[in-house]
Amino acid sequence: MAMVVDYKHDSSFPYWTSIRRRFAPDSPFFSSGNIERELLAKQVALDFTEDERNQLEKMIDTDARGVFCPIVGCGARLTLLEDFEDHYNTRHTASCSVCSRVYPTSRLLSIHVSEAHDSFFQAKVARGYAMYECLVEGCDLKFKNYKGRQQHLVDKHKFPTSFEFFKKAHPSKKQRLKNQRKRAVNKKDEEVSSKMEVENEMVEGLVSAVSKLSTSDSSPSTVSFGRRNARGLTFVPRSVQPPLQKK
Amino acid sequence: MADDSPASHRRDPIKSSVGNVAAQRRRQNAVTVGKERRESLVRAKRLCRVGPSGDGDVPGEENDMVTDEEGFLLDAQTSSAVEDLKSAIAYQGKGAMQKRVNALRELRRLLSKSEFPPVEAALKAGAIPLLVQCLSFGSPDEQLLEAAWCLTNIAAGKPEETKALLPALPLLIAHLGEKSSLPVAEQCAWALGNVAGEGEELRNVLLSQGALPPLARMMLPNKGSTVRTAAWALSNLIKGPDPKAATELIKVDGLLDAILRHLRKSDEELATEVAWVVVYLSALSNFATSVLVKSDAILLVVERLATSNSLQLLIPVLRSLGNLVAGDSHTTSTVLIPGHEITDGVIKVLVKCLKSDHRVLKKEASWVLSNIAAGSIEHKQLIYSSEAVPLLLRLLSTAPFDIRKEVAYVLGNLCVTPTGGDGKPNLIEEHLVSIVQRGCLSGFIDLVRSADIEAARLGLQFMELVLRGMPNGDGPKLVEQEDGIDAMEIYQFHENEDLRNMANGLVDKYFGENYGIDE
Repeated sequence: MAMVVDYKHDSSFPYWTSIRRRFAPDSPFFSSGNIERELLAKQVALDFTEDERNQLEKMIDTDARGVFCPIVGCGARLTLLEDFEDHYNTRHTASCSVCSRVYPTSRLLSIHVSEAHDSFFQAKVARGYAMYECLVEGCDLKFKNYKGRQQHLVDKHKFPTSFEFFKKAHPSKKQRLKNQRKRAVNKKDEEVSSKMEVENEMVEGLVSAVSKLSTSDSSPSTVSFGRRNARGLTFVPRSVQPPLQKK
Repeated sequence: MADDSPASHRRDPIKSSVGNVAAQRRRQNAVTVGKERRESLVRAKRLCRVGPSGDGDVPGEENDMVTDEEGFLLDAQTSSAVEDLKSAIAYQGKGAMQKRVNALRELRRLLSKSEFPPVEAALKAGAIPLLVQCLSFGSPDEQLLEAAWCLTNIAAGKPEETKALLPALPLLIAHLGEKSSLPVAEQCAWALGNVAGEGEELRNVLLSQGALPPLARMMLPNKGSTVRTAAWALSNLIKGPDPKAATELIKVDGLLDAILRHLRKSDEELATEVAWVVVYLSALSNFATSVLVKSDAILLVVERLATSNSLQLLIPVLRSLGNLVAGDSHTTSTVLIPGHEITDGVIKVLVKCLKSDHRVLKKEASWVLSNIAAGSIEHKQLIYSSEAVPLLLRLLSTAPFDIRKEVAYVLGNLCVTPTGGDGKPNLIEEHLVSIVQRGCLSGFIDLVRSADIEAARLGLQFMELVLRGMPNGDGPKLVEQEDGIDAMEIYQFHENEDLRNMANGLVDKYFGENYGIDE
């Protein structure tokens, strides 16, 4: 790549710097012009049809190496750079119907929903069950708390320490607009709920409620309102609302 | 002949099955030929189907898809032509010379027929040693010409076929000499051009055998097809990646002069090949670049860009300009001084390229502009106030991806002060505000969404400029309006750590918890 990045700034962001970019004659940057040169030279002798010309130009457009989807865990092969946006929109935009956060796979979305919006999940956590799943598909390990899972990701799967599965600070545009509207009507309580964390008091209440309910041995060990194919819920407590239908 | 006998009836079913097989083979052949054809069209080697001075046979068959049967026939004819040549060479009696020339001509015709000459058959039959013999010193011109022509087309094929010319190289080089007749020299140059076009290894062999000086001298005359062929062969010879040949070429006595003369006065076809020589000189050799920058080359290149409409010429001429700007800081600092006529001329022709229909011109013109925009503040102001900016803004939203990327470089470069010294480069607020107000942000955010790492990086860097630099803290709002936050969210789970950190950093800094809470 011809672009040189200047990392001398003490801040961690690589700011835009204007520099001259030079390319070697065999750089891929020049390949479309080179191909055009040979085509034009031979066109005189060979008389292409419109079709042939288009086919050849398509060959020029497509990067011979192909591009792979850069989203972690996907690896799908994309033939044209333009395909990425389509691919991303169809395969990587699973959004949470409760808080509108977007995840690149249904599995991650479902994990998010359990961990962030499911009181039963929190109830089980409070009782000491290992509920936090490893994010890497196929690993199957579970942990008793968020931090433990995070550490596992870093230690075992080489995730960077800066990686945060649950980022609290950025409610989506939709949510922020919603917040602004509600704030305009002066309901301070809504601000609290916009934080999207399940409160401890609620959990405690649920824990005691759960302990009062009788559960048969056949109840599923994990109950969630995610998009996972559920084995069915044996009970629906009145204090937790079912999630809104995903659009 | 129609025949009602039972025998002819019995023959029919056999005929039709043969027909099917043949049709199938033709179709399969067409697919392979189609693939090969595409590759051959893009290779740097050129088949010689018409003689150097325009004489020689007109290629009869434009239908280049040779069926299996026709292919077998051609191969058989070729083998027998080589046999004829062999006996013609052995023959010592009266009319030997004519016999040899006739045999060569026959072979040459077979090798010039279709786009896929029967090279393999010729090589198998032992053509090379015979052709080398025909190149011996003192041979009549006609013989030399036909032999070189055969070798040219043999060399236009697959890599191993081109390599087969090794024994012939010293003689081909020798016949480039000033005592050779022009058509002979030209045909030898053509053959050598094909050999050089094959790859670095063969290029090095040619250079070590002294091919460069005689080819260079062939460029010195004012006109002629020989000059053009020599220029083309030279461009293949010096294309590197080792810059030595390019540096050696510019040092040849009278060569710089000849280049300038051709750029100034010659017809477009010749100027095109010379321009490609300049492309390689300026891309590979710093010495050649500085020599060219100090000469009239830029002026002449700009003149051609302004007056020509031939894509074939515009591509190398634009690229030469680009290489001269990119390769040497002197170009922008001492030649293209803002306010000078030559600089205005450069901007004007680059604008012309941006307006053209051709993708390569738009892309490479943007690249050149981005390098000029990496110059001094005056350079940035010059481009900012030119016709280029509205064109670039339009291209940023409508052009194909590779063009948009280059356009992004120009626009971003216009918004920051020159790099130099420490500390982060400052924003040029006036430029930033203006182009953002004219709607460029969505184009940059689109780049963030692409799968190309470099483009995404550019997009994020520009977003940072907007977030930091728009007055009244408008940046975050503007970014959000264009769905910039969604775009950055893609990077939460992206493989590339650099991009992940950049995106997360921006979101953390500008869209934190307190974002959106109005005072």
